[in-house]
Amino acid sequence: MKTTMKCAALAGVMILAGGMALAEYPEKPIQVIVGYSAGGGTDVMARTTAPFIEKYLGEGASIVVKNMPGASGQIGITEVANSDPDGYTLGTFNLPGMMARTLDRQADYDRDSFTYLANVVNDPNVIVTSKNSGLDTIDKLIAEAKENPGAITVGMSSLGGDDHFMLIKLQNMTETEFTIVPFKGSAPARTALMGGHVAMGILNISEVANFQEELNVLGVALAERSDFAPDLPTFAEQGVDLINGSMRGVVAPAGLPEDVEAKLLDAFTQLAEDPEFIAAMKATANPVEVVTGADFKALTGDLYDLAKEVWETTPWN
Amino acid sequence: MYSDLLHALPNVVAFANFAALVIGVLAGIVVGAMPGLSATMAISVLVPFTFGLDPLVALGLMAGIYNGAMYGGAIPAVLLRIPGTPAAVATTFDGYPMAQKGEGGFALQVAVVSSSIGGIASAFALMLLAPPLSKVTLLFGPSEVFWVAVFGLCSIIFLLGGNPVKGLISACFGVFVSVVGSDPIFGTDRYTFGQLELLDGIHIVILLVGLYALPPVIDLLETPLKTDTSNSDKLGTEPIWRTLPRMLRFWKTWLRSAAIGIWIGILPGAGGSMAAFMSYNEARRTSKTPNTWGNGEPEGIAASETANNADTASALIPALTLGIPGTAVAAVMLGGLLVHGLQPGPMLFRDNPDIVFGFMWQFLFGAILLVFLGGSLATNSFAKLLKLPRPLLGSVIIVLMLIGVYSIHGPMFDVYLMLGFGAVGYLMDKLKFPLPPVVLGLILGSFAEENLRLALRIGRGDWSVLFANTTSQILVLMTVAVIVGPIIKRRYFNKSANGPDEKA
Repeated sequence: MKTTMKCAALAGVMILAGGMALAEYPEKPIQVIVGYSAGGGTDVMARTTAPFIEKYLGEGASIVVKNMPGASGQIGITEVANSDPDGYTLGTFNLPGMMARTLDRQADYDRDSFTYLANVVNDPNVIVTSKNSGLDTIDKLIAEAKENPGAITVGMSSLGGDDHFMLIKLQNMTETEFTIVPFKGSAPARTALMGGHVAMGILNISEVANFQEELNVLGVALAERSDFAPDLPTFAEQGVDLINGSMRGVVAPAGLPEDVEAKLLDAFTQLAEDPEFIAAMKATANPVEVVTGADFKALTGDLYDLAKEVWETTPWN
Repeated sequence: MYSDLLHALPNVVAFANFAALVIGVLAGIVVGAMPGLSATMAISVLVPFTFGLDPLVALGLMAGIYNGAMYGGAIPAVLLRIPGTPAAVATTFDGYPMAQKGEGGFALQVAVVSSSIGGIASAFALMLLAPPLSKVTLLFGPSEVFWVAVFGLCSIIFLLGGNPVKGLISACFGVFVSVVGSDPIFGTDRYTFGQLELLDGIHIVILLVGLYALPPVIDLLETPLKTDTSNSDKLGTEPIWRTLPRMLRFWKTWLRSAAIGIWIGILPGAGGSMAAFMSYNEARRTSKTPNTWGNGEPEGIAASETANNADTASALIPALTLGIPGTAVAAVMLGGLLVHGLQPGPMLFRDNPDIVFGFMWQFLFGAILLVFLGGSLATNSFAKLLKLPRPLLGSVIIVLMLIGVYSIHGPMFDVYLMLGFGAVGYLMDKLKFPLPPVVLGLILGSFAEENLRLALRIGRGDWSVLFANTTSQILVLMTVAVIVGPIIKRRYFNKSANGPDEKA
């Protein structure tokens, strides 16, 4: 008797739960936590994406962007990892930064703390040199680095980020050595390059697209030419197999209900094909490359392995 | 390029765009006048809302807020000795003594006229000289910027006050606060005790509000029954056109301070507070009556307020052309521009001339509007605040401080930190330790450290990199001159003063 009651109750709960899940997600505003301040690259990505996701989630969906800046995004992403996996809290996710923070710092999350929805932006690295350095091809750059190990100064945005990993890849691949000068952000690094205070820089394609006349852009670290700046050659074309970049996407806490996950994944998949969305992103300096679900998770795993390998061989702090 | 400038004008004076500018200036003055609320904060709150607005409406609001807040900070600085924004610290030196003498109204009028002049000069620099001035920015690499910071620290040694030992202790405390957070090169945690909130260092507004706003409020509450009628009634509500002739003798200070403000603005990182301090110092140094300074010399207000408004538009020169913001506010504004698809760089002027040049016009009009809106608003409404009973005034300020600090990032941790600094500030105030060196130590300490370390990395550990080029050498000479100059001068003057005595 008792068991039947229990079963009935359980069934009732399940029906209720099922019913609730069926009652059209989202039934209240969805919060997207951005770990950086308003107006930054990641924030602009989130706010540009939001109206399109609202459109694809359907009738009445509304997304609220909340900025929780600090500690290079760690405060925001920790909040996401610790929030309820009900689909009403999502967060922006940066690679390789978010994975690197689990290595160089104590973090209250790891790569299993999230349900991976979609990577939205892939901003590939570029190598640039100052006009007065005379190093206007990748071959000349490598030859100079081999001749005078450590003599070339490289401006970049920070240690433990995509720029840094890109340089490590270059060094390993070509057996060269450079001197890293980590500025606070890419714009000061780019300015130091234009002023000739450093010889070489590792930046992202969105950061140099408007400065092609002021700098030598040696190549783009992408398998194929970027739609964002199609006139710039890849490294692969020049015989150096360098691929690396900065990625920005959207995750949810681990353990999202399956139907909610499916609905969100579907929205992001439709996003990838929306020409209006791609145009809006290009206007805000965000090269789009949508990778959803399992592929995004695998991508995160790859970048974690890369960061770990770099951390173990050449720790940066 | 100049035809583009004219072409952008009609759009700027269109009703919605101009109304946005007026609202921005008014809001900016209010925000600037509230201790703890700064232009940076107001614009960061605004940026998300501008997604749906027309670009020039959004930018007009931002330009207005920036101009308004830089002046608004002077209002509590004069009336209460609480700088409303970090850049208004130097305004307290002479502004508050004037208010105590019953000349608060004139002090505010000097502030608004000077702010406006600084803003207008800066807007012209931005409109007419942006491309050549951005070349100047390129000359300043890490080693040059390091010397600018050292020059700044040396030139304001006078801030140490009557007791140099106490002053140095204050400055060291400021530099120590600048060390908290992750190391600028390797990201190693320093004095963070595992607190994620401390990783980015301590925000200047938290320190400023704690140190500057809490002690005067406690003072207000210590004698709660006495209403402060002495200065509020005699605020002097003479119309501005009648006081204007008395200000004309500041023209030299206006010119010099505007030039200093513009120069500091185009250098990345330093911002309005350094501009105001340096120009105050320069004006005092060249004054014929340096003894009246600090005791209510209106020229001191003119120096500091001209300079802190002169760096507004000029800070946008490197921001628009190179993508590097000259000040924290310019950094937030860059975000606001990006939201509207305006990516900084040399192409910006070619791709979106109407909006970019329109934005520049808005800076100019914003600075002009300041005189009309700022003068009457400050004297007619804010000054009346002082007539409030002291317990009420004190508690209103405390609430504003808490809201202001909380709204920077959002965690309560910042609020507790601010209250902690308040306790420190109260003790320092009672023990007669000067507060300005703390603010400067925090701003310039981290600035000097970061750039010194970058320069040494570029030189691969070789210190001679710091003297390697002409710009650095000139800055070194200026630094030496600013230290040695006063010593020689004092000797020379002492000798000539002693001369007749020896004969007699």
